[in-house]
Amino acid sequence: MRIMRSAIALASVLALGLTACGTSTDTSSPDPTTAEETTSAPAESESASEEPSESPSEGGSEGAGDVPQGDGTQTIYLVSKGFQHRFWQAVREGAEQAGEEFNYKVEFVGPQNETQVTEQLNMLKTALDSKPAAIGLAALDSGAASDLLDQIEAAGIPIIAFDSGVDSDIPLTTVQTDNYAAAQAAAEHLVELIGGQGTVGLICHDQTSQTGKQRCDGFKEYMAENAPDVTVLPEQIAGEVGLAANAAKSMIQANPDMVGLYGSNEAAATGAVQGAIESGNSELKVVGFDSGKTQIDAIKNGQQAGAVTQAPIKMGYETVVAAIKAINGQELPEVIDSGFAWYDASNIDDPEIAANLYE
Amino acid sequence: MAKLLELKNVSKTFPGVKALQNVHLDLNEGEVLGLCGENGAGKSTLMKVLTGIYTPDPGAEIWLDGKQVEVKDVNHARDLGLSIIHQELNLVNDLTVAQNLFLGRPGSHKGGFINDRALEERAAELFDRYGMRIDPRARMGSLTVARQQMVEIARALSYDSRILVMDEPTAALTGVETERLFELIRDFVSPTTGLIYISHRMPEIAEITDRVSVLRDGEYVGTVVTDEVEMREIVSMMVGREVSAEARPRTKRLSDEVVLKVSNLSSKNLLHDINFEVREGEILGFAGLVGAGRTEVARCVFGADARTSGDIEVRGKRVRIHNAVDGVNAGIGYLSEDRKQYGLLLDQSISDNAAMATMEKFHTAGYIHDDKIEKIGKEYSKKLRVRTPSVAQLIRKLSGGNQQKVVIAKWLIRDSDVLIFDEPTRGIDVGAKEEIYELLDDLSRQGKAIVVISSELPEVLRVSHRIAVMANGRITGFLDNEEATQANIMELATVGKPVVEGAHS
Amino acid sequence: MSTTEETKTEVEHEAKKEGRSGSSFQQLLVLLALVAIYVFFMFAAPNFAQLGIAIDILSQSAYIGVMALGTTFIIATGGIDLSSGTGMSLMAVAAGIFLAAPPYWNLPLGAGLLLVLLVGALIGAINGANVAILGLPPFIATLAMMMAARGLALVISQTQTISIANPGYKNLVQGNLIPRFELGGSTIAIPNSVLIFILLAIVAAFLLNKTLLGRYALAIGSNEEATRLSGVNVRFWKMMVYIVGGLFVAIGAILYSGRFGFVQPSEGVGFELNVIAAAVIGGTSLSGGRANITGTVIGALIMQTLTKGLQMMGLRQEWQLVVTGVVVLIAVLIDIQRQRRANAA
Repeated sequence: MRIMRSAIALASVLALGLTACGTSTDTSSPDPTTAEETTSAPAESESASEEPSESPSEGGSEGAGDVPQGDGTQTIYLVSKGFQHRFWQAVREGAEQAGEEFNYKVEFVGPQNETQVTEQLNMLKTALDSKPAAIGLAALDSGAASDLLDQIEAAGIPIIAFDSGVDSDIPLTTVQTDNYAAAQAAAEHLVELIGGQGTVGLICHDQTSQTGKQRCDGFKEYMAENAPDVTVLPEQIAGEVGLAANAAKSMIQANPDMVGLYGSNEAAATGAVQGAIESGNSELKVVGFDSGKTQIDAIKNGQQAGAVTQAPIKMGYETVVAAIKAINGQELPEVIDSGFAWYDASNIDDPEIAANLYE
Repeated sequence: MAKLLELKNVSKTFPGVKALQNVHLDLNEGEVLGLCGENGAGKSTLMKVLTGIYTPDPGAEIWLDGKQVEVKDVNHARDLGLSIIHQELNLVNDLTVAQNLFLGRPGSHKGGFINDRALEERAAELFDRYGMRIDPRARMGSLTVARQQMVEIARALSYDSRILVMDEPTAALTGVETERLFELIRDFVSPTTGLIYISHRMPEIAEITDRVSVLRDGEYVGTVVTDEVEMREIVSMMVGREVSAEARPRTKRLSDEVVLKVSNLSSKNLLHDINFEVREGEILGFAGLVGAGRTEVARCVFGADARTSGDIEVRGKRVRIHNAVDGVNAGIGYLSEDRKQYGLLLDQSISDNAAMATMEKFHTAGYIHDDKIEKIGKEYSKKLRVRTPSVAQLIRKLSGGNQQKVVIAKWLIRDSDVLIFDEPTRGIDVGAKEEIYELLDDLSRQGKAIVVISSELPEVLRVSHRIAVMANGRITGFLDNEEATQANIMELATVGKPVVEGAHS
Repeated sequence: MSTTEETKTEVEHEAKKEGRSGSSFQQLLVLLALVAIYVFFMFAAPNFAQLGIAIDILSQSAYIGVMALGTTFIIATGGIDLSSGTGMSLMAVAAGIFLAAPPYWNLPLGAGLLLVLLVGALIGAINGANVAILGLPPFIATLAMMMAARGLALVISQTQTISIANPGYKNLVQGNLIPRFELGGSTIAIPNSVLIFILLAIVAAFLLNKTLLGRYALAIGSNEEATRLSGVNVRFWKMMVYIVGGLFVAIGAILYSGRFGFVQPSEGVGFELNVIAAAVIGGTSLSGGRANITGTVIGALIMQTLTKGLQMMGLRQEWQLVVTGVVVLIAVLIDIQRQRRANAA
């Protein structure tokens, strides 16, 4: 019965285009027999644009085989880092999908932007006060949340971290994109695009968050280890398109021999593209991270070579699934990878990719 | 009777001004000493020397209980038992009564931690001792001025003061509150303590003091026993028997045409039923003590402050004046007593300042004709003899007299019919004063209707054709220049509050 | 020439220098600072010494610079505008909504731009009303607007990026009214944003020095009460100043979004501080009464030159911020010193 249910669940996930996302996950195969493992994500990343189905995967919703159906009265409360941004809306979509599927109510909240730590703590407190069956948290500041986490634990409410790790042993698992591996994948593709040599620059959107660091370090360390003929310039930090464009332009002007440029999120990548256009360097290969309308357009019209995307819908889905498991006392792995995928002009319209791209 | 306090040879020089000159003062044990003098006679300066706020010039001596002391600063004065209650209360409105009482006081905290409850208990004890009914937990700002003053008194007493100075304590009090204050004063005075009471109000001086010392122009005039003299004599001591300048105006008003007529003017807090008129070429002086309401009349007529009732007519036409723009448009110019704060743009040039009230004449669709402004600036600088190398000079760099001339130029360029001068020679040195007076005479000859508010009686007598005297927000009388003397002006100006209220209501 | 005459001309000269625009000595210092910074990078940063870089600095400082022009008027009155950054974001989104293809309004370029300016004037008018009529402190009034504008930008954009396909829009900012030309072997292209910046700086200088608006703004900042008692309608003119500020922010928004051809609602946070810094570096006094358009332009250029140069040296953003902070500090210190001397005199 359970197997049956999970098969239905997976089928519906597929139908909604939620599953595909590439290299480190495989959800294209609904075969429940591969579904038993739910271990952490691989650190190494397969070279990217191959068909997702060929990369055997750990993690992912295969574990759905064990997801018990709820009775529709229990609530799973997700406190995200943001609310308006399309990424979080996609996470929400996935979460609500899972809630509907397994008959749980899903509350999804998040502060106005990703700097409002206090606002998020208030939301977490509200979540605790409403006594949900489980809480999912994408912490803006792990340290600041530690008191509340203790209280949540004391109240016997299971807590699942998502998006970025929470610096505490209280969360039962973390559902996240392996940003480090994804950044390495971006680096790998850039090396390929520039033929293995030349000077490349990188624009990181942020240097204080875990995500920001991993996306920066993954790129740099891949280059250091695997691309001896590539010179990497010191990174510039710019989280807004305008600033990123200025920074990109400055780098290009200062280093006319530059052949490649990496932007660690939508704004950084879009700025990098803009900088390349404005400085008239059409040979420059730009790779990015995440999606968004500007990046998608740039990739489609050839201004940008490609990007790695996270799988926000899957992240939301997996978070709720993990929460349900926790409610039912099932074992959870330390980390659940929500996957990532390389995309470029050649595969951008593939349904598996397109489902995780947002404008 | 032993001398509790003696001041000998006290002088105090500020840059350019000798505020006190060889002043003597003595206070007996168990006595209330009145200290009188005109505005600027040096009363407050003397008391600030006594309580350590100012350091006197060398040679001054202060004797306490027959021992010479040197008051180093305010805290030292307190330690010696000298306390002062200023006209302006030194209270923090947002703190409670108890917090105010112990603010900045040693022993009010332990290592930076404040125990409010302990403070409140100590405050309550203190109030009990003096029979004051004040809640130590009340927010200071919520108390009436009278009660705030009591808190100040309690604070002064709590330092075990032996000598208390009160500077114009009744300025904001009602009759009943004044009586209550007098009771407190009588309770305070014991065979080992003394009180110095500064006031303009003769009836109060008569009621509460034992002796009265008089200062004039920073000099000691003399001391009399209150019961042995008429108040009139004290007033004449204040004004001086021989008045320095017996100068009178050199012009006459041009015609009988009334240019400004003010009827039934009242304001929310102070003014009551003010009526006066100024004719063409006439200078009407406003005399009175500080706080009598002269500046308020000027500001209400001009529109700078709100009035609760009152009609204003200019050249027979009733004008609606609700703000300064209306006032200017009605042809009224107001020259504030505080030029720097209310009259001038210090960082702008002479010509820009002079043109400020008449900018509509100097622009076309918003474009400013700086050449015209410069031209008119030059013209009026010359007319008014502003001493400056250039009309591009910043106002900040001019002397007080020249600054005043620029303000006058501003209203002349505006061609205002009515000019209200509030303390026209304040902060201007003696030489330049006469120049300003001559300018007023000139304006009178040109047919302007002029109001001059002044605290200096010789000045009022020098420039005014008629003099309106104010006290406590009312006009207590009009005097023609011919009949006016410093003495009869002071008499009208020092009428006590009950008399004024009784006479008019 | 007699001695007195000599002194007279000297003083006259001195007086002219020290007028409402602040001392020319300070302006000279600011200009020297810009030149010094520029020369430093010519040697320190690779490839910095080319005309293209200078044009880049101009065009990249255009939107901050234009907003700073408007804010200079507000600061001249003794006010402040904290809403320019997010206000810019809101107006950029508005531009997107007016001009982008359906489902947006798809208006003709002229009509769309006019509406953006109108939104700018409206935001300015609200700030102005709050300050001049309701009597809110400018800091609070514009802080509230800063938050509200950010929220509104997110709401009306539905947090979506809006592409403005209208070719005229991008051309307005990025196009080259002055044809590209060859110079020393490289093609020089001056984007229109640079021309707009220069033109608006001239307009602003005219407004500040030659019109009632500027004169009254400075008068209010110098001594509001004295200005009121001179019969000037202070409320009205303060309103006007904030409206002008809003208009300049709207133009800044057009310059910013026209560069990319798309608008994102979350941009612009913190820009207001750069805007204020540009004015302050340029010698406009935060306490009002003294303002200087040339200084503001140079202030904006100094900040962009620093950023550009440090970026081209490969220095990280942190250091760019630190250096900019130090420059702001020095500029204000010079200003305070100057005022102390003036007050002592």
